[in-house]
Amino acid sequence: MPSTRNRLILKTAAATLALAGLAAAVTGFVVLRAGWYDTTATSQHLQPVYTVLELGMRYSVRNHSSEVKVPPLGAPQQVMRGAALYSAHCAECHGGPGFAQSKIGQSMQPVPGPLVDASARWQPRELYWITKHGIKMSGMPAWQFHLSEADLWAVVAFMGVLPTLSAHDYARVTAGANGPSALATGAAR
Amino acid sequence: MKAPVLLCALALLAGCQGKAPANSVQGDPERGRLALAQHACRACHMIPGLTGPETHVGRSLVDLAERRFIAGSLPNNQDSLVRWIRNPQSVDPQTAMPNLGVSERDALDMSAWLLTAR
Repeated sequence: MPSTRNRLILKTAAATLALAGLAAAVTGFVVLRAGWYDTTATSQHLQPVYTVLELGMRYSVRNHSSEVKVPPLGAPQQVMRGAALYSAHCAECHGGPGFAQSKIGQSMQPVPGPLVDASARWQPRELYWITKHGIKMSGMPAWQFHLSEADLWAVVAFMGVLPTLSAHDYARVTAGANGPSALATGAAR
Repeated sequence: MKAPVLLCALALLAGCQGKAPANSVQGDPERGRLALAQHACRACHMIPGLTGPETHVGRSLVDLAERRFIAGSLPNNQDSLVRWIRNPQSVDPQTAMPNLGVSERDALDMSAWLLTAR
Protein backbone atom coordinates (compact mmCIF):
# COMPACT_ATOMS: atom_id res chain seq x y z
CA MET A 1 0.00 0.00 0.00
CA PRO A 2 1.64 3.27 -1.11
CA SER A 3 1.90 6.07 1.41
CA THR A 4 -0.65 8.90 1.33
CA ARG A 5 1.94 11.17 -0.22
CA ASN A 6 2.72 8.76 -3.07
CA ARG A 7 -0.97 8.21 -3.74
CA LEU A 8 -1.43 11.97 -4.02
CA ILE A 9 1.43 12.20 -6.53
CA LEU A 10 -0.03 9.35 -8.63
CA LYS A 11 -3.50 10.89 -8.54
CA THR A 12 -2.16 14.29 -9.58
CA ALA A 13 -0.17 12.76 -12.44
CA ALA A 14 -3.19 10.77 -13.67
CA ALA A 15 -5.49 13.79 -13.46
CA THR A 16 -2.95 15.97 -15.31
CA LEU A 17 -2.61 13.41 -18.11
CA ALA A 18 -6.38 13.06 -18.42
CA LEU A 19 -6.88 16.83 -18.55
CA ALA A 20 -4.08 17.29 -21.10
CA GLY A 21 -5.59 14.56 -23.27
CA LEU A 22 -9.02 16.16 -23.04
CA ALA A 23 -7.61 19.59 -23.92
CA ALA A 24 -5.80 18.11 -26.94
CA ALA A 25 -8.96 16.34 -28.12
CA VAL A 26 -11.05 19.51 -27.76
CA THR A 27 -8.42 21.57 -29.60
CA GLY A 28 -8.25 19.00 -32.37
CA PHE A 29 -12.02 18.95 -32.72
CA VAL A 30 -12.24 22.75 -32.87
CA VAL A 31 -9.50 22.97 -35.55
CA LEU A 32 -11.22 20.22 -37.55
CA ARG A 33 -14.77 21.54 -37.19
CA ALA A 34 -13.86 25.19 -37.83
CA GLY A 35 -12.17 24.19 -41.10
CA TRP A 36 -8.92 25.93 -40.25
CA TYR A 37 -6.79 23.27 -41.89
CA ASP A 38 -6.04 24.22 -45.50
CA THR A 39 -6.75 21.29 -47.84
CA THR A 40 -6.01 23.13 -51.11
CA ALA A 41 -3.51 21.65 -53.56
CA THR A 42 -1.83 25.06 -53.75
CA SER A 43 -0.77 24.83 -50.11
CA GLN A 44 2.01 22.50 -49.12
CA HIS A 45 2.83 20.33 -46.18
CA LEU A 46 5.55 21.61 -43.90
CA GLN A 47 8.82 20.00 -44.93
CA PRO A 48 9.13 17.92 -41.72
CA VAL A 49 5.58 16.59 -42.21
CA TYR A 50 6.30 15.79 -45.85
CA THR A 51 9.55 14.07 -44.94
CA VAL A 52 7.94 11.90 -42.26
CA LEU A 53 5.04 10.92 -44.54
CA GLU A 54 7.44 10.04 -47.34
CA LEU A 55 9.63 8.06 -44.97
CA GLY A 56 6.57 6.16 -43.70
CA MET A 57 5.63 5.38 -47.29
CA ARG A 58 9.12 4.05 -48.05
CA TYR A 59 9.14 1.79 -44.98
CA SER A 60 5.62 0.58 -45.71
CA VAL A 61 6.46 -0.32 -49.30
CA ARG A 62 9.69 -2.02 -48.26
CA ASN A 63 7.88 -4.05 -45.61
CA HIS A 64 4.85 -5.05 -47.67
CA SER A 65 6.81 -5.94 -50.80
CA SER A 66 9.42 -8.06 -49.05
CA GLU A 67 7.79 -11.37 -50.00
CA VAL A 68 7.22 -10.53 -53.67
CA LYS A 69 8.84 -12.98 -56.08
CA VAL A 70 10.48 -11.13 -58.94
CA PRO A 71 10.25 -12.82 -62.37
CA PRO A 72 12.99 -12.45 -64.98
CA LEU A 73 12.98 -8.85 -66.20
CA GLY A 74 14.38 -7.10 -69.24
CA ALA A 75 13.53 -9.29 -72.23
CA PRO A 76 13.09 -6.96 -75.22
CA GLN A 77 9.48 -7.97 -75.83
CA GLN A 78 8.63 -7.34 -72.19
CA VAL A 79 10.32 -3.95 -72.17
CA MET A 80 8.58 -2.92 -75.39
CA ARG A 81 5.24 -3.89 -73.85
CA GLY A 82 6.19 -1.87 -70.76
CA ALA A 83 7.05 1.14 -72.95
CA ALA A 84 3.61 1.07 -74.54
CA LEU A 85 1.92 0.79 -71.13
CA TYR A 86 4.08 3.54 -69.68
CA SER A 87 3.21 5.84 -72.53
CA ALA A 88 -0.49 5.07 -72.18
CA HIS A 89 -0.89 5.16 -68.39
CA CYS A 90 2.14 6.63 -66.58
CA ALA A 91 3.46 9.48 -68.72
CA GLU A 92 0.47 11.73 -68.17
CA CYS A 93 1.36 12.24 -64.50
CA HIS A 94 5.08 11.34 -64.43
CA GLY A 95 6.37 12.65 -67.77
CA GLY A 96 9.25 10.95 -69.52
CA PRO A 97 12.53 11.63 -71.34
CA GLY A 98 12.30 15.10 -72.87
CA PHE A 99 8.74 15.88 -71.84
CA ALA A 100 6.95 16.87 -68.66
CA GLN A 101 3.78 15.48 -67.16
CA SER A 102 0.49 16.92 -68.41
CA LYS A 103 -1.24 19.78 -66.62
CA ILE A 104 -3.05 17.29 -64.37
CA GLY A 105 0.22 15.79 -63.19
CA GLN A 106 1.91 19.16 -62.79
CA SER A 107 -0.60 20.58 -60.36
CA MET A 108 -1.16 17.59 -58.10
CA GLN A 109 -0.13 17.80 -54.46
CA PRO A 110 2.08 15.92 -53.76
CA VAL A 111 3.52 16.32 -57.24
CA PRO A 112 4.18 13.01 -59.04
CA GLY A 113 7.93 12.81 -59.53
CA PRO A 114 9.81 11.79 -62.64
CA LEU A 115 10.41 8.03 -62.94
CA VAL A 116 13.77 8.33 -64.62
CA ASP A 117 15.39 7.77 -61.21
CA ALA A 118 12.76 5.31 -59.92
CA SER A 119 14.90 2.22 -60.52
CA ALA A 120 17.75 3.84 -58.60
CA ARG A 121 15.49 4.64 -55.65
CA TRP A 122 13.46 1.42 -55.49
CA GLN A 123 13.91 -2.32 -55.88
CA PRO A 124 11.94 -3.96 -58.73
CA ARG A 125 9.64 -5.71 -56.23
CA GLU A 126 8.91 -2.33 -54.63
CA LEU A 127 8.11 -0.69 -57.98
CA TYR A 128 5.79 -3.62 -58.69
CA TRP A 129 4.11 -3.18 -55.33
CA ILE A 130 3.59 0.56 -55.78
CA THR A 131 2.28 0.14 -59.33
CA LYS A 132 -0.07 -2.67 -58.29
CA HIS A 133 -1.44 -1.15 -55.10
CA GLY A 134 -0.98 2.59 -55.54
CA ILE A 135 -0.27 5.05 -52.71
CA LYS A 136 -3.09 6.21 -50.48
CA MET A 137 -3.88 9.97 -50.46
CA SER A 138 -1.16 10.71 -53.00
CA GLY A 139 -3.12 10.41 -56.23
CA MET A 140 -1.13 7.32 -57.27
CA PRO A 141 -3.78 4.85 -58.42
CA ALA A 142 -3.68 1.09 -57.92
CA TRP A 143 -3.37 -0.79 -61.20
CA GLN A 144 -4.16 -4.25 -59.83
CA PHE A 145 -7.59 -4.41 -61.46
CA HIS A 146 -6.55 -2.64 -64.67
CA LEU A 147 -3.31 -4.36 -65.66
CA SER A 148 -2.46 -8.07 -65.75
CA GLU A 149 0.41 -9.47 -63.67
CA ALA A 150 2.55 -9.71 -66.80
CA ASP A 151 1.79 -6.10 -67.68
CA LEU A 152 2.61 -4.86 -64.16
CA TRP A 153 6.03 -6.51 -64.46
CA ALA A 154 6.45 -5.14 -67.98
CA VAL A 155 6.04 -1.62 -66.59
CA VAL A 156 8.63 -2.39 -63.89
CA ALA A 157 11.01 -3.77 -66.53
CA PHE A 158 10.57 -0.63 -68.62
CA MET A 159 11.35 1.61 -65.65
CA GLY A 160 14.69 -0.20 -65.39
CA VAL A 161 15.50 0.83 -68.97
CA LEU A 162 14.08 4.36 -68.74
CA PRO A 163 17.29 6.06 -67.48
CA THR A 164 19.15 4.89 -70.59
CA LEU A 165 16.70 6.44 -73.04
CA SER A 166 17.11 9.84 -74.66
CA ALA A 167 14.03 11.77 -75.73
CA HIS A 168 14.60 10.42 -79.24
CA ASP A 169 14.92 6.80 -78.03
CA TYR A 170 11.77 7.14 -75.96
CA ALA A 171 9.78 8.47 -78.90
CA ARG A 172 10.99 5.51 -80.96
CA VAL A 173 10.23 2.73 -78.46
CA THR A 174 6.83 4.08 -77.51
CA ALA A 175 5.90 4.48 -81.16
CA GLY A 176 6.99 0.86 -81.58
CA ALA A 177 8.19 1.73 -85.07
CA ASN A 178 11.24 -0.50 -85.14
CA GLY A 179 10.13 -3.18 -82.72
CA PRO A 180 12.48 -4.60 -80.10
CA SER A 181 15.60 -3.65 -82.06
CA ALA A 182 14.83 0.05 -81.44
CA LEU A 183 15.18 -0.64 -77.75
CA ALA A 184 18.48 -2.45 -77.97
CA THR A 185 20.24 0.64 -79.30
CA GLY A 186 18.76 2.75 -76.53
CA ALA A 187 19.60 0.29 -73.76
CA ALA A 188 23.13 -0.17 -75.02
CA ARG A 189 24.18 3.37 -74.08
CA MET B 1 37.51 65.27 -42.95
CA LYS B 2 38.83 61.72 -43.36
CA ALA B 3 36.34 60.02 -41.05
CA PRO B 4 33.18 60.91 -43.05
CA VAL B 5 34.84 59.77 -46.28
CA LEU B 6 35.81 56.49 -44.65
CA LEU B 7 32.30 56.03 -43.32
CA CYS B 8 30.84 56.67 -46.76
CA ALA B 9 33.22 54.11 -48.28
CA LEU B 10 32.23 51.56 -45.64
CA ALA B 11 28.56 52.20 -46.26
CA LEU B 12 29.11 51.69 -50.00
CA LEU B 13 31.00 48.46 -49.37
CA ALA B 14 28.22 47.21 -47.11
CA GLY B 15 25.80 47.89 -49.94
CA CYS B 16 27.86 45.67 -52.23
CA GLN B 17 27.30 42.57 -50.13
CA GLY B 18 24.81 39.94 -51.13
CA LYS B 19 22.87 39.65 -54.32
CA ALA B 20 21.63 42.17 -56.82
CA PRO B 21 19.35 44.64 -55.08
CA ALA B 22 15.79 43.36 -54.95
CA ASN B 23 14.45 46.40 -56.81
CA SER B 24 16.30 45.31 -59.96
CA VAL B 25 14.25 42.09 -60.06
CA GLN B 26 10.94 42.39 -61.87
CA GLY B 27 7.82 40.36 -61.17
CA ASP B 28 6.07 39.01 -58.10
CA PRO B 29 8.28 36.54 -56.21
CA GLU B 30 5.49 35.13 -54.03
CA ARG B 31 3.30 34.42 -57.05
CA GLY B 32 6.40 32.92 -58.66
CA ARG B 33 6.81 30.52 -55.75
CA LEU B 34 3.30 29.22 -56.35
CA ALA B 35 3.85 29.08 -60.12
CA LEU B 36 6.98 26.96 -59.55
CA ALA B 37 4.96 24.52 -57.44
CA GLN B 38 2.09 24.40 -59.94
CA HIS B 39 4.40 23.67 -62.88
CA ALA B 40 5.91 20.72 -60.98
CA CYS B 41 9.40 22.27 -60.93
CA ARG B 42 9.85 20.76 -57.47
CA ALA B 43 9.44 17.25 -58.94
CA CYS B 44 13.00 17.47 -60.32
CA HIS B 45 14.62 20.46 -58.57
CA MET B 46 15.25 21.39 -54.95
CA ILE B 47 13.81 24.90 -54.61
CA PRO B 48 13.91 27.22 -51.59
CA GLY B 49 10.49 27.67 -50.01
CA LEU B 50 8.95 24.63 -51.69
CA THR B 51 8.27 21.34 -49.96
CA GLY B 52 8.97 17.99 -51.57
CA PRO B 53 11.18 14.93 -51.82
CA GLU B 54 14.94 15.04 -51.94
CA THR B 55 15.54 14.87 -55.67
CA HIS B 56 18.57 15.15 -57.90
CA VAL B 57 16.99 14.66 -61.32
CA GLY B 58 17.46 18.36 -62.06
CA ARG B 59 19.99 20.74 -60.55
CA SER B 60 19.30 22.19 -57.13
CA LEU B 61 18.07 25.76 -57.50
CA VAL B 62 18.78 26.65 -53.89
CA ASP B 63 21.82 28.79 -54.72
CA LEU B 64 20.69 29.93 -58.16
CA ALA B 65 21.15 33.63 -57.45
CA GLU B 66 24.84 33.08 -56.66
CA ARG B 67 25.67 31.48 -59.99
CA ARG B 68 27.39 33.33 -62.82
CA PHE B 69 25.95 31.15 -65.56
CA ILE B 70 22.76 29.17 -65.98
CA ALA B 71 22.09 26.28 -68.37
CA GLY B 72 25.84 26.04 -68.93
CA SER B 73 26.15 29.04 -71.21
CA LEU B 74 23.75 31.89 -70.39
CA PRO B 75 24.84 34.73 -68.11
CA ASN B 76 22.76 34.53 -64.97
CA ASN B 77 20.25 37.34 -65.20
CA GLN B 78 16.50 37.54 -65.18
CA ASP B 79 16.13 37.72 -68.98
CA SER B 80 18.20 34.56 -69.46
CA LEU B 81 16.28 32.77 -66.75
CA VAL B 82 12.92 33.62 -68.31
CA ARG B 83 14.16 32.46 -71.70
CA TRP B 84 15.49 29.19 -70.24
CA ILE B 85 12.32 28.46 -68.26
CA ARG B 86 10.03 29.13 -71.21
CA ASN B 87 11.98 27.23 -73.86
CA PRO B 88 14.96 25.21 -72.63
CA GLN B 89 15.50 23.56 -76.02
CA SER B 90 16.15 26.94 -77.64
CA VAL B 91 19.20 27.27 -75.38
CA ASP B 92 20.32 23.63 -75.27
CA PRO B 93 18.65 21.24 -77.73
CA GLN B 94 20.00 18.24 -75.77
CA THR B 95 18.70 19.26 -72.37
CA ALA B 96 16.50 16.84 -70.44
CA MET B 97 14.50 19.76 -69.04
CA PRO B 98 11.12 19.73 -70.73
CA ASN B 99 9.25 22.68 -72.16
CA LEU B 100 6.36 23.14 -69.72
CA GLY B 101 4.46 25.77 -71.65
CA VAL B 102 5.14 28.45 -69.05
CA SER B 103 3.67 31.87 -69.84
CA GLU B 104 5.84 35.01 -69.94
CA ARG B 105 4.28 36.34 -66.75
CA ASP B 106 4.67 33.06 -64.87
CA ALA B 107 8.29 32.73 -65.98
CA LEU B 108 9.04 36.29 -64.87
CA ASP B 109 7.51 35.67 -61.46
CA MET B 110 9.31 32.31 -61.13
CA SER B 111 12.64 33.94 -61.92
CA ALA B 112 11.86 36.67 -59.38
CA TRP B 113 11.44 34.04 -56.66
CA LEU B 114 14.53 32.07 -57.70
CA LEU B 115 16.69 35.20 -57.75
CA THR B 116 15.51 36.55 -54.40
CA ALA B 117 14.65 33.52 -52.25
CA ARG B 118 17.14 32.49 -49.61
